[in-house]
Amino acid sequence: MSVELIAYGCFFLTVALTYAIMCLGLNLQWGQTGLFNVGIAGFVAIGAYVSAILTTPDTAGRLGGFGLPMAVGWLGGALAAALVSYLVGRLTIRLRADYLAIATFGIAAAVQLCALNLEPITGGPFGIGFIPRPFAAQAGNPLLFSLFNLALLITVVLLLYFALERLVRSPWGRVLRAIREDETAALALGKSATRFRLQAFAIGGGIMGLAGAAQAHFIGFIAPENYLPMLTFQVWAMLIVGGSGNNRGAILGAVLVWGIWAVSAALIAAVFDPGQQARAASLQIALIGVAICAVLLLRPQGILGEMRTVSRHLGTLAKRTQPAEKRPE
Amino acid sequence: MNPQVLVDGLIAGAMYGLGAIGVTLTYSILRFANFAHSELLTFGAYAALALSSALGVLSAGLLAPIGPFSFGWSLPLAAIAAMALTGLLALAVDAVLFGRLRVRRSSIIVMVMASFGAALTLRSLLEFVFTSKPAYFTRELQIALPLGGGMRATPDQLLALAVAVLLVVAVHLLLTRTAIGRSMRAVSENQALAGVVGVDVRKVIRVVWLLGAALACVAGIMAGLLVQLRPYMGFDLLLPLFAAAILGGIGSVPGAMLAGLIVGLAEAGTVQLIGAEWRTAVAFVILVLVLLLRPQGLLGRPQA
Amino acid sequence: MSTVAPPPALATQALVAGYERDLPIVRGVDFQVAAGELVVILGPNGAGKSTLVKAIAGLVPIHSGHAFLAGADITRSPVQEKVRHGLAFVPQTENIFATLSIQENLQLAADILPRRVQAERIAEVCDLFPDLAARRSARAGNLSGGQRQMLAVARALIVKPSVLILDEPSAGLSPKIVGEVFARLKDINAAGITIVLVEQNVKAALAIAHRAVILVEGELRHEGPAATLAEDPIVAQLYLGAAPAGQEEGR
Ligand SMILES: Nc1ncnc2c1ncn2[C@@H]1O[C@H](COP(=O)(O)OP(=O)(O)OP(=O)(O)O)[C@@H](O)[C@H]1O
Ligand SMILES: [Mg+2]
Repeated sequence: MSVELIAYGCFFLTVALTYAIMCLGLNLQWGQTGLFNVGIAGFVAIGAYVSAILTTPDTAGRLGGFGLPMAVGWLGGALAAALVSYLVGRLTIRLRADYLAIATFGIAAAVQLCALNLEPITGGPFGIGFIPRPFAAQAGNPLLFSLFNLALLITVVLLLYFALERLVRSPWGRVLRAIREDETAALALGKSATRFRLQAFAIGGGIMGLAGAAQAHFIGFIAPENYLPMLTFQVWAMLIVGGSGNNRGAILGAVLVWGIWAVSAALIAAVFDPGQQARAASLQIALIGVAICAVLLLRPQGILGEMRTVSRHLGTLAKRTQPAEKRPE
Repeated sequence: MNPQVLVDGLIAGAMYGLGAIGVTLTYSILRFANFAHSELLTFGAYAALALSSALGVLSAGLLAPIGPFSFGWSLPLAAIAAMALTGLLALAVDAVLFGRLRVRRSSIIVMVMASFGAALTLRSLLEFVFTSKPAYFTRELQIALPLGGGMRATPDQLLALAVAVLLVVAVHLLLTRTAIGRSMRAVSENQALAGVVGVDVRKVIRVVWLLGAALACVAGIMAGLLVQLRPYMGFDLLLPLFAAAILGGIGSVPGAMLAGLIVGLAEAGTVQLIGAEWRTAVAFVILVLVLLLRPQGLLGRPQA
Repeated sequence: MSTVAPPPALATQALVAGYERDLPIVRGVDFQVAAGELVVILGPNGAGKSTLVKAIAGLVPIHSGHAFLAGADITRSPVQEKVRHGLAFVPQTENIFATLSIQENLQLAADILPRRVQAERIAEVCDLFPDLAARRSARAGNLSGGQRQMLAVARALIVKPSVLILDEPSAGLSPKIVGEVFARLKDINAAGITIVLVEQNVKAALAIAHRAVILVEGELRHEGPAATLAEDPIVAQLYLGAAPAGQEEGR
């Protein structure tokens, strides 16, 4: 196997794993807690921009960069995204369930707008370049460089995975599921139910921010158009394919969907002439939409399904759906 | 401040108001935020474009501008057919998607997510069919008429304003004066009790889809006429429409119109005072403020 | 007893009903109400009284068994059809449209009647409830508890039902108002409308009822003439004494 091929494989997997992180964050919000976030791109962008501003070398005409160590940037990005998630959640979680969806939709639009217009902070449409890359010293050796990067991302994903698994099985996680599964339990918990959901939403948002930071440093360059609503749609497709409620599924779904996406994009590029490519790409998105609807209608538990810890929930869900068929609307 | 802000804001606001009425009606009766509403707008606009062009091919005379307006008879004729088509689309989506979830008594959030999936599908299919290149109902240029006080508006803009006002009044009368309007308000307050009283809830839901879709179609045609048609035109309006529906109070038609005008005027003011690049942030700021200060909206009932 | 008995105004046959398929709340109820009767359903909180009447009205899925209205099987007819067949139901809670005016509440019920009789029916019902008639354009949400119950009953009467089912119309009302509501129900019954009344307010209910049935854990345990039941010490001790008046059901 040629070195380039391995390097490309590593590159592909590394990018896929950054999506896996977003997917894990979304899984905590939606899969474990049932909070619908339509603004993933916004939270990812916050993480990316904050980390970029913290770690890039001082730049004329732009806030920062502060040249701080990369770890500080990643942490800062995650914290900033978590803080914004907390505020959005704080605003809407006690209101109607769908106000959170509308508010996250709005946040993503607002973040996008800020990235575009706050040129002294975000670099405006040109974005931020020269973001320090992990293992930059190895940049001369593409194979080693990509292997190291992949190893770093694998480590991050594994750490997150185990942390989340512990969280899911902890009393905290059990309460979350109880709230999601059983409205009476949620009502009985009252105020603290809101607090639990808020915590889950903020942590999930923080994880998305971390993903944004990791992606920014891996690619080395960010611009507003990296964070269009399309990103949100992709991450949703990943979680749905993997199966919401299942952390392993979230990771697998990210790699799988990213693979399908990359292959189909390559196919479109090869088959269609450049004028028609954007058009053909829209069919890709239509497929995500159809997939979301089909899964909701046919297999609400996703392709891999939820893990054993949560399968009880599915049992009750399935039972709940049955008698309704006879019910008049 | 330039008085023209008032005209620009009112015209954009009327369009928002019209779209927001559709949102608020479907929201109050179906009880979920329908992210696919924006695609009904887009679909309606493109359907009108396709039909109007087809009519123009059949008889070129239909394309000749009517009086001071930029479009010929083909557009109003096409608009009526497009409203019906948009209504049928809404009914079809309800039959294959929302209706099935409703029968299973799915949670609100599952409905929202389904609407999100439906929106993605519809929007991308429209983009596939019509491409992302902007399209226009007509190429006629219009001269803005002076309205006095330094304000100007094109005949098309004034017509849009008049149509919006007319439709709002019509919908308001429908809701308050007719049997079906009464049933709609009853279902929006208490679906089970409405059934007990003899209201056919399924029929009401069908009527609401048709009405909401027809209003979305008109709003889409207006947006297409005053600006341009793009597959993302509805998507870009979604935030202002939700903001207006929530600001007005879910279920309140006068509220939605008033809030639409407020959003439109606030946007026009922002463009004047701060800069056009921040226009799209206005709806978000308004949304946050309402949720913070008065979640039930201006004319809504608390805890709706 | 006549030789050929007419079908009962309302009957259930081995009725099993509940909110979820594997969780029957009403467990095999056989229940008959003769035309012109006023029957009260008693029972402790959570016995399934509301569930039983909601199932008959079409608001809770019926798992098995049947419900009949004047001999016609209404088990599967959708909720909005039952009122057209002459079955009116006043739920325990949220039984009026608070955002509509009193007139609109009544008109909504009249909308299923032929247009030419609508105004006439509303006027007739308003004659029965002068307090409501005086405030027809007021929002129903602004009414007092007693007025709300009156409005709910008035709305149910608009269609001239053959059977009127009421779920705890006395809940949350002062004794004086309960007396007024019950007196009105007695008049309505005397006018020929069959009434099924779910009640916690045992004394007041038995005072106007012809007959009572007692529901416990989803099953009918006792039934008998109201006068006898009121004096039966075992029944009183078991089910009646402990039942507090004015309990609201959870949603
Ligand atoms: N909407 C519902 N969904 C699921 N279970 C319900 C629902 N409403 C009531 N139940 C359950 O059904 C059982 C019977 O309730 P029901 O309301 O029929 O009792 P009831 O006899 O009317 O009591 P009360 O005198 O307090 O009104 C209870 O255990 C209750 O928890
Ligand atoms: Mg009850």
